[in-house]
Amino acid sequence: MWGRLREGYGAGPLHLLAVVATFAIAAYALERALELTSNPDRIVLWLGASIVAHDLILFPLYALLGVLVAGAFLRGDRRSRLRVAALNHVRVPALFSGVLLLVWYPLVAGPADRGFTRLTGLSKDVYLERWLLLSAALFAASAVVFVLRLPALRRAAGRPGRRPRRTA
Amino acid sequence: MRPLRLPDVGPFRRGFWRSPLRGPWLASMLSAALLPLVAVCALTGFVSHWAYDTDLGGNSVWGGATPGNGFDLYGLDWPTSPTWLYAVTQGLHVISGVAAIPILLAKLWTVIPKLFENPPALSPAHALERLSLVLLVGGSLFVFSTGVINIQLWYPFGFSFVPAHYYGAIVMVAALALHVGLKLPVMRAAFRERGVTRPLHEDLERTKPEPGLPGVVTSAPSNPAAPTLTRRALLGGVGAASAGLAVMTTGQVAGGPLADLAVLAPRGRGRGDGPNEFPVNKTFAAVNIERDKVGPDWRLLLHTPEERRAELTREALLAMDQVTAELPIACVEGWSTTQTWTGVRLRDLARLAGVPDASQMEARSMQPRGVLRAASLNRGQLMHPEALLALRVNGADLSLDHGYPARIIVPALPGVHCTKWVGKLVFA
Repeated sequence: MWGRLREGYGAGPLHLLAVVATFAIAAYALERALELTSNPDRIVLWLGASIVAHDLILFPLYALLGVLVAGAFLRGDRRSRLRVAALNHVRVPALFSGVLLLVWYPLVAGPADRGFTRLTGLSKDVYLERWLLLSAALFAASAVVFVLRLPALRRAAGRPGRRPRRTA
Repeated sequence: MRPLRLPDVGPFRRGFWRSPLRGPWLASMLSAALLPLVAVCALTGFVSHWAYDTDLGGNSVWGGATPGNGFDLYGLDWPTSPTWLYAVTQGLHVISGVAAIPILLAKLWTVIPKLFENPPALSPAHALERLSLVLLVGGSLFVFSTGVINIQLWYPFGFSFVPAHYYGAIVMVAALALHVGLKLPVMRAAFRERGVTRPLHEDLERTKPEPGLPGVVTSAPSNPAAPTLTRRALLGGVGAASAGLAVMTTGQVAGGPLADLAVLAPRGRGRGDGPNEFPVNKTFAAVNIERDKVGPDWRLLLHTPEERRAELTREALLAMDQVTAELPIACVEGWSTTQTWTGVRLRDLARLAGVPDASQMEARSMQPRGVLRAASLNRGQLMHPEALLALRVNGADLSLDHGYPARIIVPALPGVHCTKWVGKLVFA
């Protein structure tokens, strides 16, 4: 009997049991959430929208941006160690700056405005400024490190790839 | 039966995904970093629900102490010691949650080719497994996005945050438990095949695409591009972003001089001046209490559920035994601040109300609206020698923003239950 299940279902009975248990718990939790909150339809909307927002908007957006930036640095035959290093010195601060913007988006970009000031009594203006300064500092620091690395990178770029240190 | 295949176009084409870094080892490494953070975050989240003591009358944030009102299986009262308990658990909740975000995004980046797996389902088991990933990814994005938006005091959802965040977490945890159970063998195989840390030692020349694992659909590319980044650099960058966010959020949890680290975190700054200069959850202006209600005509009303037992002026309260205690106030949003509070013991007020052995007390604010304008304390909290109706802070009268004429302050009590602008205490 287990053999037939495995053949038709594609996995063992424990798999089926675990999957069914998970869906049961999730269904219970969703049902409770929909029952207890005002505007339950907005929960379903938010759940769907968060998947779409990540998988079909945020990811394609930053992936495309990454491809464009990489393309600008490594176009055609200009792919060298030096250029790859330069690309990464843009990628890293861009990653940090992007993550900070994503996480603190309501404070930095403004939608938290009204509620935030009314509730905390603090002005919200500082956050955009701080994010811009922080981003500028990250890009600047990355550029400085790149310049400091330049001599070593040039030396390495002179070599045609990895050379064995010594032939035995 | 041959599984149905979608047309090999766009992302459904096997060769579409070209990053040479993707593969089961990278996914496993990110999971190994993510899992402890999510575990701490979920656990402290459920602890916070416990700390809310939702089975006490005034504490249900979603309408009545009904069965199934969250996990009431704890059955235990939230303790009062150590005093920094809630500051630490809730601080950890917000720190681990925020710090997990870059790792979660990196993990999703690593496995996103599997979203476009073709054929989409190899067997009923495979189809159900993929369906459970909708719960995992959707649940995670839901819980993380609502949490991180909520701590920035932006409420665009249109639904009640607490039950949605809470039950969303249950969906996420259930789906995560299944995912871990199903993927542990893949993780073990990836680490056995490639070594746990060996790929971290590869420089760019030695960075090669992962071969994938036999018999498993993985995110390893079939048509990899030349690498421009080592796995070490990728993981280092993600780890540094996570650490940076952790430092920022730690700043607002620790308070004091460390609050300056909270460059972008919402609660790094004080409000008010002198002794009253520390962060405010809700200002006086935000809660719409009429000004003359907190003037000289203010009276503290002591009640039992049936009747009024006493009425006290602020002078009368100041004439009672005063107790001074250094206690943290810790917000559910993950920031805290420790101050020196002075006021009257709640148990003295219980005696004054004629209920010296009260088993619970509800404090009601003069706030006309808001879910958290009343909060109930359990017996342990009520009887604690440092459980106060505070009148002063750091040697000065409370400011209006900090709850003048009087506020509740109790060791380890969640900040939202430290009711401000108290008008009435009901002992039962």
